[in-house]
Amino acid sequence: MAVVQINNVYKAYHDTEVEVKAINGVTLSFEKGDFAVVVGPSGSGKTTLLNLIGGLDQPTGGEILVAGHRLSELRPSELIDFRMEHVGFVFQSYNLIPVLTAAENVSFIMNLQKWPKEKRKVRTDELLSSVGLSDRHNSRPSQLSGGQQQRVAVARALATHPEFILADEPTANLDSKSAESLLDIMEKLNHEEQMTFIFSTHDIRVMKRAHRVITLEDGKVISDELSF
Amino acid sequence: MTDSQLAWKNLWRNRKRTVITAASIFFAVFFALLMRSFQLGAYDRMFRNIIESYTGYLQIQHRDYFDEPIIDNSFELTPRVTEKIYSDPNVNTLVPRLESFALAADESRTQGVMVLGIDPEGEEKVTGLKSKLVKYKLTPESIAALKRSSIPDRTKKLLDVFLNESYSSEGRLMLDLNISQDDSADILPVLRRSASFRNEYLDINETDGALIGNGLSDYLKAEIGDTIVLVGQGYHGTSAAGKFVVRGIVRLPAPDIDNIIVYLPITGAQELFAAPSMVTSAVLKLVNNDDENVLQTGNNISKQLEQPLAIRTWHEMNALLINQLEADNRSGMIMIGILYLVIAFGVFGTVLMMIAERKREFGMLVSIGMRKRKLAKIVSLEMVLIGILGLAAGVVASLPFVFYGNSHPIRFTGEMGRMYSDYGFEPVMPTLLPDTYYLSQIVVVLIILLVAILFCVRKIFRINVINALRA
Ligand SMILES: Nc1ncnc2c1ncn2[C@@H]1O[C@H](COP(=O)(O)OP(=O)(O)OP(=O)(O)O)[C@@H](O)[C@H]1O
Ligand SMILES: [Mg+2]
Repeated sequence: MAVVQINNVYKAYHDTEVEVKAINGVTLSFEKGDFAVVVGPSGSGKTTLLNLIGGLDQPTGGEILVAGHRLSELRPSELIDFRMEHVGFVFQSYNLIPVLTAAENVSFIMNLQKWPKEKRKVRTDELLSSVGLSDRHNSRPSQLSGGQQQRVAVARALATHPEFILADEPTANLDSKSAESLLDIMEKLNHEEQMTFIFSTHDIRVMKRAHRVITLEDGKVISDELSF
Repeated sequence: MTDSQLAWKNLWRNRKRTVITAASIFFAVFFALLMRSFQLGAYDRMFRNIIESYTGYLQIQHRDYFDEPIIDNSFELTPRVTEKIYSDPNVNTLVPRLESFALAADESRTQGVMVLGIDPEGEEKVTGLKSKLVKYKLTPESIAALKRSSIPDRTKKLLDVFLNESYSSEGRLMLDLNISQDDSADILPVLRRSASFRNEYLDINETDGALIGNGLSDYLKAEIGDTIVLVGQGYHGTSAAGKFVVRGIVRLPAPDIDNIIVYLPITGAQELFAAPSMVTSAVLKLVNNDDENVLQTGNNISKQLEQPLAIRTWHEMNALLINQLEADNRSGMIMIGILYLVIAFGVFGTVLMMIAERKREFGMLVSIGMRKRKLAKIVSLEMVLIGILGLAAGVVASLPFVFYGNSHPIRFTGEMGRMYSDYGFEPVMPTLLPDTYYLSQIVVVLIILLVAILFCVRKIFRINVINALRA
């Protein structure tokens, strides 16, 4: 069964005078273990698509099913709980809570899910060493490099075993070396934990690391290729 | 990581802002409390001064006397009535007064006077009349003697300015002659020797004795030992006339009373006005003067009194003063209102800035699955912490000042001091100890805080994650 099933989804914005069809009839599905990237020119609808999949936004047409949930049927507060339980997010920047240490940030969602303390600690240690930051437990985000911060964000997103991780341009603010190492880690976790990653990028080099490349243009999928 | 731990950490992310916000609340609370404490302390003092030197907290009168204060509206203070009044445990003493008007004449002059028949010992207990007896007088002879004495020149120079001035308190004399507290030990004995005024108090058994106001004494040129004649109308239209010997001279704060007052032993007054055993009022001295106790005692006695007697509270008897002070009080409240308005704007500014600054973070938190209610709770906690911190610090910091100001009141010198002394009051301004006014200040701050929190909570519930993330 697909982790994410997107059926003929539309998203139109009416804020401006002309209607903007940010997503214009997309049908897609993601399977467990996918390592998929969404690419396309600026304004093609990458962010919009990821937001819809993550339940941050509601489509104006079509339906999205995630882990058996029909997202349009969830009330706003249920959507928040849905995100907490089923989706891991990595944003382009400002991912972390500035007053918490790396370890505290990683255990944040476990905390929301009320994991017992001992279990939290074990998982946090495991993840921080997984992302190569076992020596930075007590560093604040401001004491970490951009790449390190993104790695902490990935660790946090992964912590509670969500259905998939959504990352909208996770490398956009990173230099190429940090971007590479972040992708190394994502790929490793995709492999080790069988975690589904769906991310977007502008960067050709990042794109090349994906196992599946979905290209958007004007809100439509113009290609969907596997590339190993 | 609990919500409160996270809130606490968030507080210190922008140390400066937190400190400034808490400090502004602190200063507002601190100054508002001190201001209130001084203002209310001054009122309280003023009321007590007036009540304790004249009206007393409660009086018993004929029910018509309040509106028409004439001797015909007097009543007989029977043992039955007295007994009933004393049955209230809060009543310490009851002193009768018989008040009316007459013409007073000395050798050459006459003057309309207010005659107040009193029980000398009781009156002393209730209003401290003895303390108003003139103790010093700077007569030409005493000034001459003082100039020959060893007192400093500075003081000597001032003597002539106050020729023929009389004093009922050393405090006022020291103020006038510019004698500091330090010099007083040297100078006062000299003054006592040279300028003391020989005076006597009334004796209930000497029905022809009288105390007269200093102003009246000057006008009538009536000295100690002189005889004055009082002529007037007695009870129910009888004619009243009598001769009285001036035993003492009192200096009363209000000149309009000082110029016309004649105190007689109540027996003498009753005889003069042909109103044996009648009184126009009975002043109660209470054990406990707290508002609550006064009210309770008043109600209690009121229930037992029979027609035509009625109880009058100090509120009724000092309505004019109360009105004046209320007007003054309002202006004080407006000042504090402005102070709090400024603080409210400050707090709101902080909140707005904080929300704008953390919009992305809020968006991120809600995106990754933090419920808005939880987020609102954390942010509210932060604000409560800042608010309570400022509030508590303000309250705590004000306490030593308020308590010190109460036990070591500000002492007026100069004009203000003279004015107070003239009114027979100690020229001090003690603060009012913490009372309900503390509570109301705290409530005001809490309300401001609550409004700011509600505003913030509303903002959080209206967060649109997509917009917040793009911000
Ligand atoms: N909240 C919004 N209101 C109105 N229009 C929007 C909104 N969000 C996105 N759009 C429009 O929808 C279209 C798709 O935007 P989207 O942000 O998904 O593009 P993108 O592929 O992520 O672009 P980029 O590569 O620049 O991040 C754009 O034309 C954009 O202007
Ligand atoms: Mg985008």
